[in-house]
Amino acid sequence: MDWLRKLFPAPPELTPDQARRLAAWQALPEPPMQQAMEESRYVVVDVETSGLNIHKDRLIAIGAVAVTGGRIDLGDSLEMVLQQAAVTGKDNILIHGICGTAQREGVPPAEALLNFLEYLGKSPLVAFHARFDESMIKRALKQVLGLRFSHTWTDLAYISPALYPELALRNRSLDHWMTHFGLSNYARHSALADALSTAELMLCLANRMDARAIRNMRDMRALEHTRRQLGMAH
Amino acid sequence: MTAPNSLITATVDHLVRFAPFNKMEPVHLAWMAERLKLGYFAKGETVISPETGLVETFFIIKQGVIHGEQDVVRAQEDSAWLELHEGECFPLGALLSKRPVNSIYKAGVDTFCYELSVQDFHELLRKCQAFHDFCTHRLANLLEQSKQVIQAQYTHSSSEQQSMTSPLSAIIRREPVSCAPDTPMRQVLETMNDLGIGSMVAVDAQKRPLGIFTLHDVLKRVVLPGLDLNTPFSQVMSPDPVALPPHALAYEAALVMAKHGFRHVLVEEGGRLVGLVSEKDLFTLQRVGLRQLSSVIRKAQDLETLKHSARDIRQLAHNMLAQGVTAEQLTQIITTLNDLLTTRVLELEVAASPEIHGVEFCWMALGSEGRMEQTLNTDQDNGIIFRIPEGKRAEDMRALMLPFAKRVNLALAECGFPLCTGDVMASNPKWCLSLAEWKDIFDKWIYHGAPVDLLHSTIFFDFRPLFGEERLAEDLRDWLSIQAPKNSRFLHQLAVNALRNKPPLGIVRDFVTSDGHTIDLKVNGITPFVDAARIYSLAHGVGATNTLQRLREAGEKMGMEEQDIDAYCDAFLYIQLLRLRLHHEQGESGQKMTNKVDPDTLNDLDSRILRESFRQARKLQTKLSVNYQA
Repeated sequence: MDWLRKLFPAPPELTPDQARRLAAWQALPEPPMQQAMEESRYVVVDVETSGLNIHKDRLIAIGAVAVTGGRIDLGDSLEMVLQQAAVTGKDNILIHGICGTAQREGVPPAEALLNFLEYLGKSPLVAFHARFDESMIKRALKQVLGLRFSHTWTDLAYISPALYPELALRNRSLDHWMTHFGLSNYARHSALADALSTAELMLCLANRMDARAIRNMRDMRALEHTRRQLGMAH
Repeated sequence: MTAPNSLITATVDHLVRFAPFNKMEPVHLAWMAERLKLGYFAKGETVISPETGLVETFFIIKQGVIHGEQDVVRAQEDSAWLELHEGECFPLGALLSKRPVNSIYKAGVDTFCYELSVQDFHELLRKCQAFHDFCTHRLANLLEQSKQVIQAQYTHSSSEQQSMTSPLSAIIRREPVSCAPDTPMRQVLETMNDLGIGSMVAVDAQKRPLGIFTLHDVLKRVVLPGLDLNTPFSQVMSPDPVALPPHALAYEAALVMAKHGFRHVLVEEGGRLVGLVSEKDLFTLQRVGLRQLSSVIRKAQDLETLKHSARDIRQLAHNMLAQGVTAEQLTQIITTLNDLLTTRVLELEVAASPEIHGVEFCWMALGSEGRMEQTLNTDQDNGIIFRIPEGKRAEDMRALMLPFAKRVNLALAECGFPLCTGDVMASNPKWCLSLAEWKDIFDKWIYHGAPVDLLHSTIFFDFRPLFGEERLAEDLRDWLSIQAPKNSRFLHQLAVNALRNKPPLGIVRDFVTSDGHTIDLKVNGITPFVDAARIYSLAHGVGATNTLQRLREAGEKMGMEEQDIDAYCDAFLYIQLLRLRLHHEQGESGQKMTNKVDPDTLNDLDSRILRESFRQARKLQTKLSVNYQA
């Protein structure tokens, strides 16, 4: 029966206060999908993990910054290392630079994820290769808070080539797009720095979005969907 | 937010690379960073314009370039062109005076700007003194930093803390020994011997200095004449000694010594003697002594000696430049010494030219020499005014003077002042004239000159007497001060000519106007200020020829804001300093001296100040075009 318990783990134990915070978050209203970008708050997110396997690897850090009314709000940002029971291997540490001590001294997972949710509110999420970030965050929320996290996401890895088809073949990674738009990054592969670069990329796309009459999250999702359907790998 | 996260820290780290953020308290910087928004402007996009209304945002460029373009319709004096780069902020004027901007600010390339709300901007002004100082005195503030950098480099390379820019109060070490004027010489000499001092000052009951006596005087005034040692001090001393205030700078004392050939200068505060500075005190500050150099020039008996002195003048200028002496001080020193040298060349040639003895004439300095703005790379511009004695014609006098003038020009050329390529020299019959002829020429320029005639005549309006009958040049100046302001057509044409020469729009590759990716500091940087100052001084009957003096005197008569005048002067001096430094470097590496600088070789601070200086030049030009409908 071990495999069954693995498949349907018992709901985790939350303190009453944590349960109350989770419920409060769940009760927040969703912003309308057609709310204009200039009036909306989007949260651009990036995660660091113990590896690239979305089923096995662990969430180590979350970095996020809000884009509100078309401006990146530096003060409205979040950077958090989740406390790890076991420190990841050297190769992994060399990628994101979060050392063993930082991993052990991170925020306890339930607290960290509640902080994240409260920071996020119901604002739509934006990421580059969003499926990965989404899977990692989703699994952590399920395991730690017992939350089925079904949120609005959009993926700049599809939006960017859809808006710049002439560059699509040459630009596949975030690094490519950053180079194209001349974006710098104060610490590549640190979650918050990468979130900032992703947010800057989003701002750079604004003109083409205007030209294509893409004005809200619904339009962006539609564009992303078309791009995915075309089967054109980003 | 509790402890600042890496994004806030990285933003602070980025900003501290630039003024004024490098001077701000970390806590104020973090406070600001947490309130910043980051906006993006695609190339060509307008960031803010007069139509935007009251300014709501303070912008700091994170990356990219912002251009400020003058709005043609509502052209105003302070809305000159500008180009802003990473780390620079705008629009300070509009934010401080709570009004809309006068220029249209557009992204020159794809640009990210940090944005701070107007409320937070004003809060920061209150909180942070460094930020406040910067916003209210931007250019002065940058220049101060640049000066500190240069001086830091200097003190770094030398343990000698004092420099020619120290105030005299820092150099005088002890109360000077003084005596009453009726003290017998025996007692004076004994005191000097006992205390091992080189000089004695006589003061009255109020401690006002009356005269000075130094060891150098002992031989000539005491020993050789066999002076009775009971003679009172007052009969032996040099009366009316030159005194400077304690806040005067070392180089000023050096200049006084050089000009008059003194070895000592008194320091006086409120009429009371407070100190004495000797040549020896200053000598430790410089390798080539100013007074020593001037004394050699004064006593030179041949051209060979003067040629050496001319080289020493350049060497001295190089040394002082390395010490962080300002452009104003340095050009004064160069001018003083070059004047002495030219005067001595003239004295020697006059002595060797008996045919001109008795002729009343004045040797005039023109152009940059006339303006007292010579750099290390200045060719000669000069002319002669002579008086026609009864029964003679101008032609006769000219025939007499020209061979002499030719010899002087050649001698000056040997001393390192190249012959003027435009032949504006006293040996040219066109510029060796009687007072009446000079007035005719000026009259023709003022009343009938086409713009193109005026183009090459402007340097004549900067004339200054250097040797001989100064009265002749002063007559011409007095006459000009009455004539020029009367003719608005003349002033208009001068302004049209001046405005043909636009300062560079910026110093980014695309905007450099000169060839070969260089900026000509003289043509593009200095000339706009010189031209404007000349026109304003002619228009308002100001007799000064020096650009700073002209700007200050004419500016006051015109009711210009004092801080605007200061900013023009600072900008002018800064470009002049860059020029001097450029010449210094070219001289050190044995290159030909030019005024062309490659903007890529400037450090961040210098390139920023240079752009700000060009902006001031454009602002002054805008004013000129408004004043003279040019």
